Amino acid sequence: MNHRGGWALIKRSWASWLQYRSFFFVLAFGWMIPPLIYLFVWTTASEPAPIAGLTPPQFVAYYLVLILVNQLTFAQTNWTVGDVIRMGSLNSWLLKPMSPLYNAIASEVAGKIVMMAFVVPVSIILAIVLRPELTTTPTQVVLCCVALSSAWLLRFFWGLWLACLAFWATRADALLALQDALIFLLAGVVAPVALLPSAMQTIARVLPFYYMVGFPVEVLTGQLASSEVATGFVIQAAWLIVAVVLYRLVWRSGLKRYSAIGG
Amino acid sequence: MRYLRLIKYFMLSSAQADLAYRANFAIGLLNSLLNLIVGVLGLAVLFSQVNTLNGWTFASTLALLGVYLTISALRGWFIGPSLEVLAGIEGDVWSGRFDFTLLRPINTQFFVSVRQWNWFALIDLALGLGAIGVATVQSGGAQPLSFLVAATASVAVLYAILLIFTALVFWSPGLLFTWVFDAIMQLARYPIGIYPGWLQFVLTWIIPVAIMTTIPATALTGDIQPMSLMGGVALAVILFIAASVLFRLGVRRYNSASS
Repeated sequence: MNHRGGWALIKRSWASWLQYRSFFFVLAFGWMIPPLIYLFVWTTASEPAPIAGLTPPQFVAYYLVLILVNQLTFAQTNWTVGDVIRMGSLNSWLLKPMSPLYNAIASEVAGKIVMMAFVVPVSIILAIVLRPELTTTPTQVVLCCVALSSAWLLRFFWGLWLACLAFWATRADALLALQDALIFLLAGVVAPVALLPSAMQTIARVLPFYYMVGFPVEVLTGQLASSEVATGFVIQAAWLIVAVVLYRLVWRSGLKRYSAIGG
Repeated sequence: MRYLRLIKYFMLSSAQADLAYRANFAIGLLNSLLNLIVGVLGLAVLFSQVNTLNGWTFASTLALLGVYLTISALRGWFIGPSLEVLAGIEGDVWSGRFDFTLLRPINTQFFVSVRQWNWFALIDLALGLGAIGVATVQSGGAQPLSFLVAATASVAVLYAILLIFTALVFWSPGLLFTWVFDAIMQLARYPIGIYPGWLQFVLTWIIPVAIMTTIPATALTGDIQPMSLMGGVALAVILFIAASVLFRLGVRRYNSASS
């Protein structure tokens, strides 16, 4: 593992992504909108009476944290890795004397930093305007950081194995659209998972999507009992292992098939 | 007549291009279905917790969603793809290919607005109309004539806004104005009353996306005011003229790119 080279790559990608910041600001703005809509939907709906014990300011807090978590964990690998495989520029990755994983991580870090430069100020302004109510303890903050890091790892490796499917199919659009829909419905965007109808709720708690977005949010806002937090961490870790194994399998067998389209 | 014939040719040549990628049909169908399912399930989750949202029932919110999907489908059919050729990434203005557009012996605004047709959008159109149908049956008392007038006005408003955002490209080719608009338009999926005052103001007066869906949806559920119908039509006319003027100013600013 060539860590020094990897770090240089990260710095280079960041500098080059910063040039296109208006593009990423627009992207980040677009991703903020669906959670923002449901922030307003649920604050309006809970005005007459709290829903599942949540008051309007608590919904504001839930969705503002969710916007940040969603941006931090968002998987960009479909176009940073998937398109590279499709277009054939993977060749230059493979020639470098370090793991191609660094290329994926480099663009991941670069993209996240550029987008945070937009999302954090906007969230702060929204927080000032919309007045969230967030009661949290230091333990919850620490647990949230752990949940958030493994949520990022989970979403990253999950996106990575999906992106590696590009070795076989030149277009994985349908699969990605399905994944977006599942994240929207089951990860806590359309509503906090506790508010879903019971059948959907069971599915949401089994599938990995809730552990990519909704789980770290709820750990911070304290909507979960400590037993639920513990179970959540176990399921999250299990899905993370599954995602890493899938990535290794798909990457290795894909690379054997790879025959460099284009240049 | 000449212009109608030209539209026919544009439609045919786009259809030929689409037919070359028949596998895309399945993907398009899946995407459209997902879009509808996600929208309806979102409403189902919401209305499993409450009976009304700011005075809107399940049926009227479904009507609103149906209108949103239908109008978006019409946009995706030709307005969006056509304008994207002009103002998208590596679009005509960016690359300088707009030179060839200007040379054509037809009205430039007409040409850039209808030159590209995406036939897969008809799936979205069918699903959107289906949602409208279901919502109408559930709520009763629809006013079909008002709805048609209001919907036409909405499409005209959408076209005018998109043309304005497209024309801005002549001033700043690097920025992706239509992407910003895409994001904002999603806010029209839900009744405007749920947003805070300042956002309602923006969505009504500055970027009137809320008007686009709300007026036709109230015509479907039967409680439309004559004033708001006339207001919608007036807005459509004003915006259409303003957009045409702005587009012309933009074209005059255009001074080609590269060689």
